[in-house]
Amino acid sequence: MQPQLEQLFDEAEKRYLKPEELQILNQYVGSLPARIDAYRALRDRELEVMQAVADQLQAALPNESVEKMERSIKNALLVLRYCAMGMLLNDEAFVVEKLRGWLTQKIQVFQTQMIDQTLYRLLEHRLDAVMTPQQKSLLSPCLEQAKQILLPVSASV
Amino acid sequence: MISVADLLTNNRIPGNYFAADTYVRGDLELGILENRRGDRLIAIPETLIQGIYSGLDKETGQASRLVLFNCGKWWGKTFYTRFREELTDYYGTALAEMPMVEFLQSLQQCWVTYGWGKLDLDHSLHSHGFLLIKTWESPFAALAPRNEVPYCFLEAGIFASFFSQLTGRELHCVQTTCESMAADCNRFLLGLAQRLKPAEAMVEQRLDHDAIVQRLCA
Repeated sequence: MQPQLEQLFDEAEKRYLKPEELQILNQYVGSLPARIDAYRALRDRELEVMQAVADQLQAALPNESVEKMERSIKNALLVLRYCAMGMLLNDEAFVVEKLRGWLTQKIQVFQTQMIDQTLYRLLEHRLDAVMTPQQKSLLSPCLEQAKQILLPVSASV
Repeated sequence: MISVADLLTNNRIPGNYFAADTYVRGDLELGILENRRGDRLIAIPETLIQGIYSGLDKETGQASRLVLFNCGKWWGKTFYTRFREELTDYYGTALAEMPMVEFLQSLQQCWVTYGWGKLDLDHSLHSHGFLLIKTWESPFAALAPRNEVPYCFLEAGIFASFFSQLTGRELHCVQTTCESMAADCNRFLLGLAQRLKPAEAMVEQRLDHDAIVQRLCA
């Protein structure tokens, strides 16, 4: 959960929540049905989306090693799952915490940055096709955050 | 043709097993700390570490270094068994088949999550048959009594037996620099016992790390 939201519950004995604080809660709860919808869309079409991305990736990079591409796709599946959860929680920091350090290091060692760059571009297109603009806009903050961490700065798409 | 379904084993993709936020769980009411598999963890307060250091020193004097080293060795042996078991269970691959980088990442993350500081392996002495292990922000160094020799004997023992188990060869470990002596990091040399033995005397003679490495590799 967003830390801002979490704090709301911390001082129950001290005072009642102010209107603007209740507004924060309202906003989150109000957006929850849409978030769950978008989550379902991602969950149910995970394989379909990623398979399409994998096919396009192979077509786009015919000379790239399959092993490296598989590694990238596997990482992307993980990233997408974390992003989906981050979207449910409305917490981009969740994604950052899961990826920073650990996955960035792996990407560096296995040198999949160039593949990842193409992969995330294809993934974005694919997600645009299977999610409604509203659903996509809920996912985007988390996905953008992940891309910022994982892709080289100059090359982020 | 890449099949995404085949990349998913049991519909899961392993993440960062030792990540602190998921690895350590606690029940405040019962006063219990557990890891994510439900194995019990123990939290050691700083006072206890200081107490062990000073108690050992009073009881055994100089021999306390050997006692600490042997405790580390004993503990390192079971640590290796648990580490291997947990990783094998979680990643579904034998430790020996794990890519080196993933093994190292797990060890590094485990070290951080256990609260032992940062760790890195330096392979620059590989051709001479030694492995250099560096650690930073070690609580065992931070709480060490003021001393004229490096004092992380416990960790040295852990490394010796952990890597002995891993490689199947009897390895020894000698610490050459220590944060408790204002060094930038703790350096541990790891290698075959008979080749590394002279380093112990060199540490006693207060030789610095570079000089020790030079003589060992000469």
